[in-house]
Amino acid sequence: MRSVIALAGAILFFALIGPFLAPYDPTAINIPKRLSAPSAEFLLGTDALGRDILSRLLHGARWSLGLAFLISLIGLVVGTVAGLLAALGGKLADWVVMRTTDTFLAFPDLVAAVVIAGLMGAGTWSLIFALSVTGWMRYARVARGIGLSLQSRGYVVQARLAGMSPWSVARWHFLPSLLPSLTVVWTGVFARAILGISALGFLGFGVHPPLPEWGTMLLDARIHMRSTPLQMIWPGLTVVISVLAINLAGDALRDALADKGTAR
Amino acid sequence: MIATVLGLLLRAVVVLAGTAFITFALLWNAPGDPAQAIAMARFDSFLTEDILDQVRQEAGLDTDFWSAFGAWLGPLLMLDLGNSAVTGRPVWPDLSTAIGYSFPLALAGLVIGLAMSLPLAILATRRPGGLLDRFAVAVASLGAAIPAYWLGLLLILLFAVHLGWLPAMGARTPAHAILPALTLGLGVAASLTRIIRSGILEARSQPFLPAIKRRGVADRAIGRDHVAPHAAIPVVTVFGLELAFLLEGVVMVEVIFGRPGLGTFLVGAIEARDFPHVQAIVVLTALLFVTVNLLIDLIYRVLDPRIGERNA
Amino acid sequence: MLTVDNVSVSRGTSRALQDITLSLAPGQTLAVVGESGAGKSTLIAAILGLVKPSRGAITWIGQPVQSCRPALVMQEPRAAFNPALSLRRSVLEPVVAAKLDLPGDRLGRLCRGLELPMDMLERRPNEVSIGQAQRAGILRALIAAPALILFDEPLSAHDAVTQKHTARLIAELQREEGFAALIVTHDLGYAVAHADEIAVLKSGRIEEVATAQSFAEAPQSGYGQVLRDAAIALGALEPAA
Repeated sequence: MRSVIALAGAILFFALIGPFLAPYDPTAINIPKRLSAPSAEFLLGTDALGRDILSRLLHGARWSLGLAFLISLIGLVVGTVAGLLAALGGKLADWVVMRTTDTFLAFPDLVAAVVIAGLMGAGTWSLIFALSVTGWMRYARVARGIGLSLQSRGYVVQARLAGMSPWSVARWHFLPSLLPSLTVVWTGVFARAILGISALGFLGFGVHPPLPEWGTMLLDARIHMRSTPLQMIWPGLTVVISVLAINLAGDALRDALADKGTAR
Repeated sequence: MIATVLGLLLRAVVVLAGTAFITFALLWNAPGDPAQAIAMARFDSFLTEDILDQVRQEAGLDTDFWSAFGAWLGPLLMLDLGNSAVTGRPVWPDLSTAIGYSFPLALAGLVIGLAMSLPLAILATRRPGGLLDRFAVAVASLGAAIPAYWLGLLLILLFAVHLGWLPAMGARTPAHAILPALTLGLGVAASLTRIIRSGILEARSQPFLPAIKRRGVADRAIGRDHVAPHAAIPVVTVFGLELAFLLEGVVMVEVIFGRPGLGTFLVGAIEARDFPHVQAIVVLTALLFVTVNLLIDLIYRVLDPRIGERNA
Repeated sequence: MLTVDNVSVSRGTSRALQDITLSLAPGQTLAVVGESGAGKSTLIAAILGLVKPSRGAITWIGQPVQSCRPALVMQEPRAAFNPALSLRRSVLEPVVAAKLDLPGDRLGRLCRGLELPMDMLERRPNEVSIGQAQRAGILRALIAAPALILFDEPLSAHDAVTQKHTARLIAELQREEGFAALIVTHDLGYAVAHADEIAVLKSGRIEEVATAQSFAEAPQSGYGQVLRDAAIALGALEPAA
């Protein structure tokens, strides 16, 4: 299990330092060398505008992975607050939050994201907004479930009797129990965000060109499928590897948590 | 029992209302001038203020939010979806044509996925931890990580471009549907394999099963009477989730393979700011989902009466 | 002065408590005895403000009872502590939360009074014995010097020897600190030995309220007699001379 987490960590690490490893400027246009096959000069070849694909992939990690990370964190904060509000805020708050989550969940997230991002116009912010809006609900459900079961614990009652503010109670007595489960949810949301960003990029609703992002790279590559088919493989491959690693880490985490639960 | 059903229905209604409202609010507040987008989609000629005004009036954009919302919601409750802002044609016929393309594709994808995943899951769980089982888990994990559009592109590359066996773009012949359905089906198979497998394994680990076996009940009977119904519960849940997956998949696949259907309908409507079209799709999708989830909830309570109490 | 005035509490459709009237003077001890299911936990919850009475009011010197910040010593000592925090952190929570000042040696003095070594406070709840955990719970209840402390079966987690010991410690501390104590217990021997007054609770109603002395000699209610005789038969209570 540790090895999988290490792997996921390594991927994130590469996402951060990737841009520094890139041999070329990802936006540098080089028409004479366009659509060239992998070579010593351009390790993965060049795209239709002569830009080095490897450099674009490495820089693209910042967008495809970094944005996904941001989105998953936004969801974490919003979802946890909503879930705790539902658990601690009384019947009315619970009903409102739960109906809201149901409403947002009534939709396949990708289709919703397409609608939102499409209407708001392409660009980074609409991407973040669209995918955050469709991703926070999973956290809320988990936070609410755990919050409800913790409410009746002795030490929570004692804290309330002592006059602790709800925020302090949440911070000291709920969060430690919430974090493990929320982390598992987070891996799932993170992975879906990666898929979502590249899917929206592929549909043309993603980040603005010439920003390198794996989905938009696939879109570009598709046009030249017949002449340089290899181009299509790389951006998809990076998506698959990242998502796979994160999913596996999430599974390992979930198994580890389940063991801890039964062991106690 | 009646109370719970009514409660679930109420929830469904609230959710639908919320979805309708949010969609409308989103469309209304989207940046950019919708009148322009509509006009550009409708006319080729030079856009003047008069044309824009006319478009605004026809599309109901010159009133305030609540009147426009009411003007849309009213007919909707009478099952009238209105007319397209671009073509002026009624929404429903075009929408149903699109659904007519997408539905068989989705169904084919589901069938293919089930055909692949069910036998695999059953065979794999015969020897948990064995070679086939580990293979199944690996394939499922991999499948979950592969985006549908990439898979589709790869399949096109292999079967259409390289081997030339199958056609890629368009929907002219039934043969054109093979690659799209396959793309969809593979994705479905990946997630179904995982769910069915874990459902079977969990059903097998029910504590009373060894006791029943000792009493001499045949393995096959155990599988049929005790394992299958219990495993059915998570699988039923999954169908609800698979629906979401199928819908997303269909949209993607249609765009990649250039097929007419809900996907191209939706994308086109969004780009043209065709309010009635977008709203119709959103509301219908939400309706589908809410209904399916409602049915699943009800089936749950039939399969496992404890679940109703757990949720209370 | 705790006044429970004609209080009824409903749990769903049934009445958990009905027309309860009690009073408790500062520094005094009231024992509430009864069987399981009689409504003792509900009474505690109502006094603490965790459930709202459907009728009647619970006040402390005329103010709603929560204003005096009553403390609670729970039946299950370990459940009352967050397993991830040190005992010191949990014990000091009441003063931290209420933003009170803690006079210099109060913690040390109370620890000595409860026979808890100071360094034990650095441990986690599951690293100490049940008895120590229970006394830590009492420590937490005392730390902010509340005027009223509720005890929910404070001795039930102990063996007989520790029971006597803890009961003595509680009584001594009460003399020093001067808090009013409402002790819920099914142990009549303990009630008679340490309480000033005894209230008998049955099926949500008060059967009888009497001084501990007169109850031990001659309970007024039939149910009270049953309880007293049973306690004598079990050896929990010495027959009155």
